Amino acid sequence: MSDVTPTDPTSEPTIATTSTTTSALRCEGLTKAFQGVHAVNGATFDVPQGQITALIGPNGAGKTTVVNILSGSMKCDSGTEYLGEDEVTNMESFEIARLGLMRTFQLSRELGGLTVLENLLVAPKLQPGESLFNVFFRPGTVRRAEQVNVERALEILGTYGLYAVRDDRARELSGGQKKLLEIARAVMASPRILLLDEPMAGVNPALIERIGGYILALKAQGVTVLMVEHNLNVVEKICDHVIVLAEGRTLATGRLSELRANKEVVRAYLGEVIDARPPS
Amino acid sequence: MTAVWYYVFTLVFFLFDYFILAMGLNIQYGETGILNFAYFAFVAVGAYVTGAVSLPNSVGTGQHYIFGWGIPFPFNLLMGGIATSLLAVVLAFITLRRLRTDYLAMVLISSSLILYDICNNFVPLFNGADGLYNVPPPFASVLKLTTNSFIPFFAAVTGVIALIMWFVMSRITRSPLGRTFRAIRDDDTVAAALGKNVFRGQLKSMIIGSFYAGIGGGLIIQFSGSLNPTAWLPGETFVVFAVIIVGGVGNNVGLLVGSLLVETLLVHLTAFLPAIPGHPGLIEYIDAMLIGVFLMVMLWFRPQGVWPERPRLSATMVRLLGKRGPSVDEARVEADVSDAALNDGSRG
Ligand SMILES: Nc1ncnc2c1ncn2[C@@H]1O[C@H](COP(=O)(O)OP(=O)(O)OP(=O)(O)O)[C@@H](O)[C@H]1O
Ligand SMILES: [Mg+2]
Repeated sequence: MSDVTPTDPTSEPTIATTSTTTSALRCEGLTKAFQGVHAVNGATFDVPQGQITALIGPNGAGKTTVVNILSGSMKCDSGTEYLGEDEVTNMESFEIARLGLMRTFQLSRELGGLTVLENLLVAPKLQPGESLFNVFFRPGTVRRAEQVNVERALEILGTYGLYAVRDDRARELSGGQKKLLEIARAVMASPRILLLDEPMAGVNPALIERIGGYILALKAQGVTVLMVEHNLNVVEKICDHVIVLAEGRTLATGRLSELRANKEVVRAYLGEVIDARPPS
Repeated sequence: MTAVWYYVFTLVFFLFDYFILAMGLNIQYGETGILNFAYFAFVAVGAYVTGAVSLPNSVGTGQHYIFGWGIPFPFNLLMGGIATSLLAVVLAFITLRRLRTDYLAMVLISSSLILYDICNNFVPLFNGADGLYNVPPPFASVLKLTTNSFIPFFAAVTGVIALIMWFVMSRITRSPLGRTFRAIRDDDTVAAALGKNVFRGQLKSMIIGSFYAGIGGGLIIQFSGSLNPTAWLPGETFVVFAVIIVGGVGNNVGLLVGSLLVETLLVHLTAFLPAIPGHPGLIEYIDAMLIGVFLMVMLWFRPQGVWPERPRLSATMVRLLGKRGPSVDEARVEADVSDAALNDGSRG
């Protein structure tokens, strides 16, 4: 579908962003090859603080791989990543998570043997009860932390419409419920930055609407969001900023309306989508 | 005391001892997902260290072994447990850091074969192929126990130790640490993405489980007074796996049931079968086959085990924590979830 001639990363047709806010997350020249397949090939972009940014691009453009690299689930071959001011390139996944970056998975990955509630309770970082010493010698501290976490988890489950299934094992949830659990679990960890990999893929329109509402609510709480999304109506509605990825590199960034005017972007990705489904 | 009682208490000892061993393997495999095929090598190391520190100086005993400090029970047992945990740390740093589950299992099984070869052939360590013997039975001289009264006595001691260790293990598995172990078991990538240091978690689990292996092994050498390498061929590990699979992976009480069914009934009661004329060792092989068949039947009809892991319900959690949950509008929320809209989403 993409017959874009590979361009030099430095001469990308980048559209100036209208936002002047600082970036919460930034990457430069990320590359990653799988046995010769250049899945990511020089991706460079900023994720502005406190906004919702969409990461779009054709299937196989390398969006999930970028999310994997940014969250530390995968190591990149070259390039750099900054979280705020700090370089975090190729840091361990758990270290990046502890710095406040949480991610969800394109294919829901629930902790199947745990209940829905327990899935959330795993998320808070550095719990006192995770130390063997505390478990036996500071039971009061463990208990108080647990009290706070259980209450908060039940509240989040209430918000995300999962309260009724709180005691079900996560593997027994429906596909849509698993999508909600992915987000709820990440939210439970109180992230500063949230990477959502297709949070609305495979769910019906009513739920898409609701998930969109949740993401906007997170933005209102000050969370920076980067979401991979194919549905341009959703992008139009809730995203402030768009990054277009094609063949592993950043093709363009800007507002969706600006990108629609960009010939290269339209050719690489938007073309048929716009023809098929004009924006409402 | 008649021979039957003698035998019954031997069974009781092994019931409790395998309960301890199963708890140790369960936290590694059942809770954390580490396929530790070297488990019985840990048991053996615990046994040898317990024996070797409690034996007197080896000069003039006709045996060769390190330590020989004459340390009394239960301190020798503790040293056995600690030595085994140290071995776990070493093996974890070599294997867990780099290897994924299946490779890890292979490396662990080879590690256990290497340990076996070392113990079997390097005589100065634990007396080589002859193994350790004449390990002094605990309290026997103090309480003036005869060979006969020692067996019920020590079965009871093992029962008390098992009870304490069960209490400790329940605390761990019910704690947030236990929950993190299970998160690592279910999906280590997700656990890491949630900020869990997967290696540290696995290391902790290996240390705890190996301590249990060491104590269980120490009790064996204290009970029988001897141990040689043929007693811990790698196949023994599979008996412990059978105990936890039959009992119910992830459930501590189920492990006692598993120990009863596999270790007591299958392994030891088959010794009552009449010997088959002309084939002296055959019963042992029949044992192994029975365990295999039993395991297959279980996996086919009741893969979750006799007494499977039961999740902690939110109501229990809220009650134990001593606070009512937040005032969530349940009616509304339940309506949300049963919303047909939710259920036609793809199964991710
Ligand atoms: N683990 C892997 N091993 C080998 N190749 C991979 C791996 N992960 C991704 N790839 C390849 O890298 C390329 C980019 O994949 P990626 O999943 O990042 O795309 P994507 O933009 O997320 O696509 P989609 O929109 O379909 O989710 C693809 O060609 C894919 O086949
Ligand atoms: Mg993808």
